[in-house]
Amino acid sequence: MPSDLTPGSQDVPHELWEAFEANAKRSLETRMRYAFIHTYKPVLDDAPYRAFETMSAYRLWCENNLPAWLGYGRV
Amino acid sequence: MAAFDYRQAQEIRAALARHGVRYLFIGKSGAILLGFPDTTQDADLFVDRTPANGRALAAALIELGFALTPDQATDIERGKDLVQLKNGPFDLDLVFAPDGIEHFEAAWTRRIEVEGFPVCHIDDIIAIKAVANRVRDRESLPRLRAFREYWEAKRKGGLQTD
Repeated sequence: MPSDLTPGSQDVPHELWEAFEANAKRSLETRMRYAFIHTYKPVLDDAPYRAFETMSAYRLWCENNLPAWLGYGRV
Repeated sequence: MAAFDYRQAQEIRAALARHGVRYLFIGKSGAILLGFPDTTQDADLFVDRTPANGRALAAALIELGFALTPDQATDIERGKDLVQLKNGPFDLDLVFAPDGIEHFEAAWTRRIEVEGFPVCHIDDIIAIKAVANRVRDRESLPRLRAFREYWEAKRKGGLQTD
């Protein structure tokens, strides 16, 4: 590793740098196994198909239909 | 519904390549392919919005086991801004007009290939989330920006993260 690439450099907190380093050592297959999980999301997961003409229509639908705690509402 | 896995990612990569579909992984799934350690539920694809590309994508998805009706295939061919599929082997979001990216071509020229998977550049992934500005985006952006610094530092140092 070049000297300027020490953990915590580049304005990256040390613990995050370490987490990124640990993940980089894993194969893509392993990274994906750890990353993709299935958890039930109310409303969102209750229909097999949805399509929205515009992204703004989708955002509005999220705000009007999804529980706020899911985090799909705009700030 | 099982979570999206590596084997399914390989299958979708192969099917979309067979049908000549132009697409990019975006969102958190794209960041994960680049090496970002986090969790997500579905895969998100940014798809080039042309009728031919949409037709090819619909055909590939049916081949992969998505139960698309003729109307749904038409939605994809037309390129509605967002199509959410939970009627196949894994959850998939098709995004034809992500916030924060003007044209597919611009994102395509900046793409990163990870084991043959075309992925949006981390800057584009961050830009999309910054413009979307949802609560969940606000929560993940500081870590994504830190990852960008790490990822760029590794690339400049000649070290591969993929």
